[in-house]
Amino acid sequence: MSSPGTTCKLCYWQPSGGTTVSSQVLVDLIKSIESMNGVRSGRWQVTASQHRPIRRDQAVQVECARELLGVAFSEAPNKYYFVLRPDHMVVEADSTIQSIMENLQVYRNHLTVVFEGFQYQLGDFHVKAGRAVIAHSENLRGIVLEVEYLPVSSLGKTHQLMQEFVDIWQEVAAQSMTGRIVHLEPNFGDYSLSDQYSWQHTALQYISLMVHFLSQRTN
Amino acid sequence: MECVVQGIIETQHVEALQVLLQGLCGGRQEKLKIHEICLKSGTNLGVEASEVHLLCSLSQTDPVWTVRHVGGPMRGAGAEQLPAHVRSVLESSISSNALRFFYALGYKMDYELVRIGYVFQFQRVVPITVTATMLCKVPKLHAIDEAIPVTPGIQLVELTAPASTENYSEAVGAISSFAEHLAPLIHLSKPGVPTGVVPTASTAAASLVSRGAMKVS
Repeated sequence: MSSPGTTCKLCYWQPSGGTTVSSQVLVDLIKSIESMNGVRSGRWQVTASQHRPIRRDQAVQVECARELLGVAFSEAPNKYYFVLRPDHMVVEADSTIQSIMENLQVYRNHLTVVFEGFQYQLGDFHVKAGRAVIAHSENLRGIVLEVEYLPVSSLGKTHQLMQEFVDIWQEVAAQSMTGRIVHLEPNFGDYSLSDQYSWQHTALQYISLMVHFLSQRTN
Repeated sequence: MECVVQGIIETQHVEALQVLLQGLCGGRQEKLKIHEICLKSGTNLGVEASEVHLLCSLSQTDPVWTVRHVGGPMRGAGAEQLPAHVRSVLESSISSNALRFFYALGYKMDYELVRIGYVFQFQRVVPITVTATMLCKVPKLHAIDEAIPVTPGIQLVELTAPASTENYSEAVGAISSFAEHLAPLIHLSKPGVPTGVVPTASTAAASLVSRGAMKVS
């Protein structure tokens, strides 16, 4: 998401039954973007982390969230976002919150997923294609696709338009690939997020996608 | 990091302090009203017990939330000699669900208070912030409109300046030097070092206020 006043739809590539996702899928998807006259505009990266509480005495339970999820965007380096799923909460803070949390030493990083790839401009749309890997490994967990519509920030007004774009992309991709583009839309209303799209919406989408990828079995 | 000195002043002399600060800094004062919530980690949570402060600034139209973590003062023989505390401080703006967030992480409210007063900010070698605030206790949970002063006739004055491991001596020197200008009205020292009010503050205050009135007229 390059600037305010836009909406984003985060998707992933679902391979057809019996096949697994691979880096070749990403190569083919990028070709499909370029075949639609997409102009490469740079790289992008999103880092999503899963934290678990630290208990001084392992035998004693602690009243706290069992899982704290956080996400940072290369396009918004001064911000950091937390998501607490059972509490339906998205928290936005400055990036210094990470240093504060490190000093507090109440939660420990358990796992990090890095989303990274290339981004393209297609008229009023901004498209990202990339892979999701477990940090410090080449454990590929999925292929991620993001569609951003630049002129409008209302989710309600852009829903159909965004879906039509994804449908067109699906048709182009299907010419050389088997599988489909799947949108994993969290219920923004449950998290008290409004119709006006924001970085908090994007944070929730990436966290939801990380949770989905981690829940999938890998070979 | 920041360096800090603080002291107390009788409320009746705050106007004189404002006149003195305006004369020294040339800047404007801004009103300050902050709802401060101190949170402590729950039982068994974390490597060790921890504390964090949520600050909600009520001076603007829309409340602005900040989370603040203060570390202990710098230690060692060198630090003992310094006329100001040097301590690590980290702040982050945070969305308005900050309190619910930290409750969910296992923190519990230890106390809350409201600080009402004003702030001056200016540059003297380093950026310096002067606050003069009345501390008010909150009689019922989050009933900030019912806050009542803890010590009605006394306000807390703090001088702070940002510092780093490379320049903290310079920052300490800057606020110590500036604190001397305020000596007729207030004794400023390290937090935790009792100072009391300045015995001759009334005389100094009367002079400052009359000079301030003459300038206005």
